[in-house]
Amino acid sequence: MKNKLFLIFFGLLFSITSCKVVENNEKIDLNDPDMVLNDRKVNNFSTKFHNYREGSSGAKGVKSVGGCGCN
Amino acid sequence: MKIIIVILLLLSYNSIVAQAQNVESDSSSSSATDTIFKLRVLDNAEIDILSSFYKQQGANAAVSGGIGTEELTNFATSISVAIPLTDDDILSIDATISAYSSASSSNLNPFSGASDDSNDGSGKKRISSGASSGGDPGDDYKVIANSPWVASSSEAKDDIWFGGNIAYSHYSDDRNNIYSVGFSAAKEYDYRSLGISLGYTRFFNSKNTELAFKGNVFFDKWNPQYPAELNHYADLNGDLDEGFFEYAVILDKNGNPIDKDGPKVWSPNTAAINDERRNTVALSMSLAQILSKRAQVSFFVEPTFQYGWLANPMQRVYFGDKSNYFIGNPSSVYIYNYTQNTDVYHLADDIERLPSSRMKFPLGARFSYYLNKRFILKLYYRYYFDDWGINSNTVKIELPIKLNHSWTLYPSYRFYNQSAAKYFAPYNKHLSTDSYYTSDYDLSQFSSNQYGLGVKYKDGFTKLHLWKIAFKSLSLDYNYYRRNIEFDAHIVSLGITLVIK
Repeated sequence: MKNKLFLIFFGLLFSITSCKVVENNEKIDLNDPDMVLNDRKVNNFSTKFHNYREGSSGAKGVKSVGGCGCN
Repeated sequence: MKIIIVILLLLSYNSIVAQAQNVESDSSSSSATDTIFKLRVLDNAEIDILSSFYKQQGANAAVSGGIGTEELTNFATSISVAIPLTDDDILSIDATISAYSSASSSNLNPFSGASDDSNDGSGKKRISSGASSGGDPGDDYKVIANSPWVASSSEAKDDIWFGGNIAYSHYSDDRNNIYSVGFSAAKEYDYRSLGISLGYTRFFNSKNTELAFKGNVFFDKWNPQYPAELNHYADLNGDLDEGFFEYAVILDKNGNPIDKDGPKVWSPNTAAINDERRNTVALSMSLAQILSKRAQVSFFVEPTFQYGWLANPMQRVYFGDKSNYFIGNPSSVYIYNYTQNTDVYHLADDIERLPSSRMKFPLGARFSYYLNKRFILKLYYRYYFDDWGINSNTVKIELPIKLNHSWTLYPSYRFYNQSAAKYFAPYNKHLSTDSYYTSDYDLSQFSSNQYGLGVKYKDGFTKLHLWKIAFKSLSLDYNYYRRNIEFDAHIVSLGITLVIK
């Protein structure tokens, strides 16, 4: 099952790049700050709390360790 | 399934061909234009000030072996500054201070409760057992116990975490390459961390495609703190007639005092940490792609390898195949598992012990879609698995709503579930014959829901300013988090962005 997931994941990874190129002067909507493909900065501490309180961590674009998270 | 894989491989081939063509045209056009126009990567220095207040409550305290209050409050503030050094270079500095108060951690030493009752006939003064180190063997004690449901006044009840990060980024002249390096440090009473990071980001297809690699290495070290009774036991070489234990009445499971010199006594495992390191290597790769004028997506993986002492020496474990022993009020032994218990504590059989390595593998995707001038749809999904047996799914949906040019609302919902680590068992359910064990419910099976609402005020023209510092935006977010087991949390975050002109 995990091997199939990997194949699908990397297949998607390459296949999405076949999309039509959007030129810079067409990126007005894409350049909206809320379109960014990341969490908002104000959620940084919320993400840290998830890293501490949940068994999984990582793949959120933030540091995943640096404290014991023991409390 | 096979058909899906074949279709994806075909699409991949097309994409590689298309990308090669785009790169060719890109490089020829960019070399002609970018040498003429070279904008600064960051016009002005920016300051982000972020504060958060966090409060949690639950009934499965890991320090008390999976039972007891998890009440915790945390107040944290960070300041991040991004400084443009040249047209191509940015220096980022981040400093964070975080202070917590934790009922669970306070029970590292549940025997520190003060008492004004000195009429015990012994002539000895009733005193607490002191810090978690347990004081010197031979001190006079009259042990007073709290319960897992009550916060102790021990030194472990609160702590301050400091963290800092400094990073440098360099952009190539055509702005299609970003190189970065960073250093981080963090410290709290029983733990410290040093980290190094290296990153590389490459843009293709007129910046329609972004490929990013990042490597992080953290060198962490414990200053191990052990449960008080285990500390005393080790200090006294297991002599229950001396020091801390001299005036402590040890009770059996029926609340009756035991004969400390008899054949059946409390005999915990006090083997200390043999490796104080906890090192982490994390490699992340992400690919972001613009899909249309209104949609973009990113995929990412972040395999992480940890090794060293991955358990927490503060956390007690109780074995179901060993007799139970207590210190405190005999009549409270029968209600030990209930919040009505305020004055008896179960003596630990061991500390949490876990394997010395862990391989984590998270992978996921983000998607943003510009619905119209008022609504944006943001989706996040992550699948995670590791070699401790945890599998998890995280889904988050956020719908930014632009009320006008300045105000935006951020309603959000997050769902999370995970399976239990194979080393997890609840309070008093582990077997002493096992090699690894934890009763930390953060490693148990559970699901959670989180509901959030944020608001942001943005001053696009930075009209409000003091001297050279101009106000750019203010964000306020509230999130409520609830597990399907007894645990919930509130978090309020406030963020202010300023610009130095």
